[in-house]
Amino acid sequence: MTASVDQVMVSVTDGSLPQVLDDLREAGLVVDTVLEALGVVTGTAEVRAIPALQAVPGVIDVERQWRVQLPPY
Amino acid sequence: MTEPAEVETTGRFLVLLQEDAVEEGLAELGAIAGFNPNTGAIGSDTLQVFPELGVAVVSGDPNLLGELNGAAEGPGAVQIVEPERVVHVFAAPVEEEPEAAADESVLTWGLQAVGADVSTATGKGIKIAVLDTGWENNHPDFAGRTITTKSFIAGEDVQDGHGHGTHCIGTSAGPRKPATLPGYGVAYEAEIFAGKVLSNAGSGSDGGILAGIDWAVANGCAIISMSLGADVPAGTPYSQIYETVAQRAMAKGTLIIAAAGNASTRPARIAPVGHPARCPSIIAVAAIDVNRAIASFSSGSADRIGQIDVCAPGVDVYSSFKLPEKYRRLRGTSMATPHVAGVAVLIAERTGARGFELWARLAGTALRLPLASTDIGTGLVQAP
Repeated sequence: MTASVDQVMVSVTDGSLPQVLDDLREAGLVVDTVLEALGVVTGTAEVRAIPALQAVPGVIDVERQWRVQLPPY
Repeated sequence: MTEPAEVETTGRFLVLLQEDAVEEGLAELGAIAGFNPNTGAIGSDTLQVFPELGVAVVSGDPNLLGELNGAAEGPGAVQIVEPERVVHVFAAPVEEEPEAAADESVLTWGLQAVGADVSTATGKGIKIAVLDTGWENNHPDFAGRTITTKSFIAGEDVQDGHGHGTHCIGTSAGPRKPATLPGYGVAYEAEIFAGKVLSNAGSGSDGGILAGIDWAVANGCAIISMSLGADVPAGTPYSQIYETVAQRAMAKGTLIIAAAGNASTRPARIAPVGHPARCPSIIAVAAIDVNRAIASFSSGSADRIGQIDVCAPGVDVYSSFKLPEKYRRLRGTSMATPHVAGVAVLIAERTGARGFELWARLAGTALRLPLASTDIGTGLVQAP
């Protein structure tokens, strides 16, 4: 059975991009998109790596991504 | 999680498993409920699994619920546990003729309700982003309009294969005098940014939504209209990340307006405001009908976290739709949200206000209605 992988989103402090990306990658984040205007990085990580991401200097919050579904008409 | 006393349950439990980790979730379930998912229990009375849905139905004694809830709160692949409900066929409600139906020969009832018909503001010079299912590129009512588009859905272009996005764009920024009346757009000269963050099947995730917000902020949009969300149980904390994002967007002059959700079944149950509208720095929009009554489905301030800020027309809303239909009447807080976004555009144009000043003017000038503030916030938004 493979390790559980999740889509995550990471908010970082103002001015910490792009330096924080190397540390996030080292902590286990596979970076999908860097949202510079928002100071947010999205990507995937093993669920067990989330505490390590949270511990990276410059990181404010790490959350799993939610899914959204419109109701049928 | 407790259920209201009047909800009839079966004694079984619904377990939502993480979408991409169903096997791991079943193993976790097995450890708690005392069965081995690999030895034929699947499909028996003990356990039913719907792998496409990522849902399992488990039977067991009532003590099991506590243990399953413990697993749902901890990390791992078991995400949500609910008692299985007994459902009945709904008795058909008496067909109610809308009394004193509005005259929609020239403009929709929604445009009249928000006072767009008596405002001279047009939205000219203001950029609005609608993050939804995309845009019907060939809609004749928008010929000659400046529309910037981008898809954040892998493998799908911005063309709206669903219709929801085209409807929301129509309400917020569509025409007042299309070839076929009525007119249906609040800010009819606004500059439109159509971001596709929901697929043609109507689904998306935070990654695409955040990418759409980033795009709108980077392009200087004053308003983002998001008729999307996920329903959550009462008491669910708001997303800290969306809250940070909304504050940063607001500091850069972009106000985010989002649908509260359609999860209520009034008067029996008022559902809490969904994600991400439940963030304090995102405007949460409720829906009212032509009689200025709260819509039966409109989610409300059911906990102290997600609070309704304003309301707008969200029942029997006529607007543009994907071809070949071209127009459709829809209901939902999804339809109320672009009314609010359009009014925000008009206020931005008329006053120059952005960010939180725009929020304050929008909420402060809303028309007070004799309804609970927990249902409609400050009231029905009004064009300047």
